[in-house]
Amino acid sequence: MTALAETPLIEAPLIEAKGVTRSFKVGAGLFNRKRTLHAVNGIDLTIRKGEVLGIVGESGCGKSTLARILLGLLPPSTGTISFQGRELSTLDRRAVARQVQPVFQDPYSSLNPRRRIASIVSFPLDVHGIGTAAERRRRALEMMDLVGLPARFADRYPSELSGGQRQRVAIARALVMKPEIVVCDEPTSALDVSVQSQILNLLLDLRRELNLTYVFISHNLAVVEHIATRVAVMYLGRVVELAETAELFANPRHPYTTALLASILTPEPGLGIPETGLGLAFPDPLNPPSGCVFHPRCPNAFGPCATVVPRALGQHPAGLVACHLHDPDYNTANNQGNRPS
Amino acid sequence: MTRPILEVANLSVDIRTAGGTLQAVRDVSFSVGRGETLCLVGESGCGKSVTSLAIMDLLPRAATRRVSRLAFDGVDLARSGKGAVNALRGNRMAMIFQEPMTALNPAYTIGDQLTEGYRRHKKAGAAEARERAVHLLEKVGIAAAGDRLGQYPHQLSGGLRQRIMIAMALMCGPDLVIADEPTTALDVTIQAQILRLLAELQRELGIALVLITHDLGVVGRIADRVAVMYAGEVVENGTAAEIFTHPRHPYTQGLMDCIPLPGRTKPGERLGVIPGVVPSLVGGIQGCPFRDRCPHARPVCAETPPVKTQGEHAWRCILEDA
Repeated sequence: MTALAETPLIEAPLIEAKGVTRSFKVGAGLFNRKRTLHAVNGIDLTIRKGEVLGIVGESGCGKSTLARILLGLLPPSTGTISFQGRELSTLDRRAVARQVQPVFQDPYSSLNPRRRIASIVSFPLDVHGIGTAAERRRRALEMMDLVGLPARFADRYPSELSGGQRQRVAIARALVMKPEIVVCDEPTSALDVSVQSQILNLLLDLRRELNLTYVFISHNLAVVEHIATRVAVMYLGRVVELAETAELFANPRHPYTTALLASILTPEPGLGIPETGLGLAFPDPLNPPSGCVFHPRCPNAFGPCATVVPRALGQHPAGLVACHLHDPDYNTANNQGNRPS
Repeated sequence: MTRPILEVANLSVDIRTAGGTLQAVRDVSFSVGRGETLCLVGESGCGKSVTSLAIMDLLPRAATRRVSRLAFDGVDLARSGKGAVNALRGNRMAMIFQEPMTALNPAYTIGDQLTEGYRRHKKAGAAEARERAVHLLEKVGIAAAGDRLGQYPHQLSGGLRQRIMIAMALMCGPDLVIADEPTTALDVTIQAQILRLLAELQRELGIALVLITHDLGVVGRIADRVAVMYAGEVVENGTAAEIFTHPRHPYTQGLMDCIPLPGRTKPGERLGVIPGVVPSLVGGIQGCPFRDRCPHARPVCAETPPVKTQGEHAWRCILEDA
């Protein structure tokens, strides 16, 4: 049990995604027909109040597309997203934005270089027409104080701030609307490690103080283990495993999760570089493999993997795994030898 | 002890900027033995990449290098002509850059780029160079190597491109490879595969490797020796085992406390922080550059800190053991 999982903050579902897909038409040159890229492919996900849902996966797995869908910035192609029990498409875009706010990866490109810090932080209030100019500024200063930015920065420009300070500005801007959920897309990836730890501490403090819910997207598994209460592992547009953080890290069930965890490099001299067991067959997202999309790289692939799409097994929403190894219909005694040890 | 393949003594690099002279690298000394892996580790702006460019003599025009000795295999390059470096670079010493998409020329095929240096340095013919290229592509785990030679960089994934970069660095059979954040742009599973490959090839071919990275996890797993850089200086230098089990400099200790360690850091607990920001390197820096952020700072830190040593372990701090 983790310290976070024990905190009694986790309650009813805030966001529920059902069968969400999102595809894009991708041009393939002048004379070729456009092809369809399924960035997100049939995702069921519940985000409960107070939790930190980590979403991990490698580039191109659809985690950022999912983030944009959850933020209401991108409508799903099919499937539904409901927010506090009401379908997102029936809600006013701005009403959603009041409750769900983003923090993006790159604090250099996500802040308008020509606006002063206080005006960046209070901009959401402007957009939503909340308060007078003086009230908005006061609120911006409160938020700056909350995230540890001195008031003297209020009239400076982003270029005068360091990366960590800029990411604090982005967090202050996300919090100024008093949202329920903050969707953080790789919030510390562009930062140095000494700054990363400051931002992670800040996010954890704010969660406790404000009873926030986070969706925390990252490719850094050590960071996700530290901050998340539950983790969804994505591969080529699908969630292949979902579990409580401690459970996932102690007992990974999907071979891809196992490989991801094996790839974490901890500063322990003498341990050497791990063998991931993954092949070199990188899938083309425009032409994904048949059956289980992971099967060409999977060290445990067997009979049905190349032809049958694995179903999600387990108790939704607590945990699931989409792998034939765990499916009693396929994994009978004669292929026990292929099971991961 | 055999002669090191690379010796760097008192290396300084100044870069002219609009705001004044930026002292990007200040009095850096280290050496790398044959077949050894040295990691230069530090955060952005600490001078680790500029150090590598200074060794390769690839600094931009605005930069000036001063060095009392820069020897490759015993030959002091600081006192040899441009021709000596040109003959070595891409030949006996090679470089792997962070972003293979920008390091590879998009207008030439993989084959052209792989064979160019080999044909020039080894005076080899096209067929021989091509054979060597296929051999190395296979060695770095690329299937259908012959077909790859006709492809362009944009036709390959990031992981494949980085394998091509490694193969290219190995073409002339170098004694020293400098790799600047070779896996930072890659996914974690690919990173592990590439580092494993690099370490295997290095061991097999007896290459000395200087790996530049900000990732302490990478350093911990691959380094024989580590030089920790801060604000243009090497603040601590020692074997990987020493640095990780017994870091002496307060900056190294601070860095280690900042990263969550699976299985050791309690999830959700506060991580260590290094308060404050890196000092500006424009103009001179007096005394210890870390003192404004250091929990152990004293008035004496305003003066140049002494270098303390214990065996192979050296650190720049007034403290014996912080």
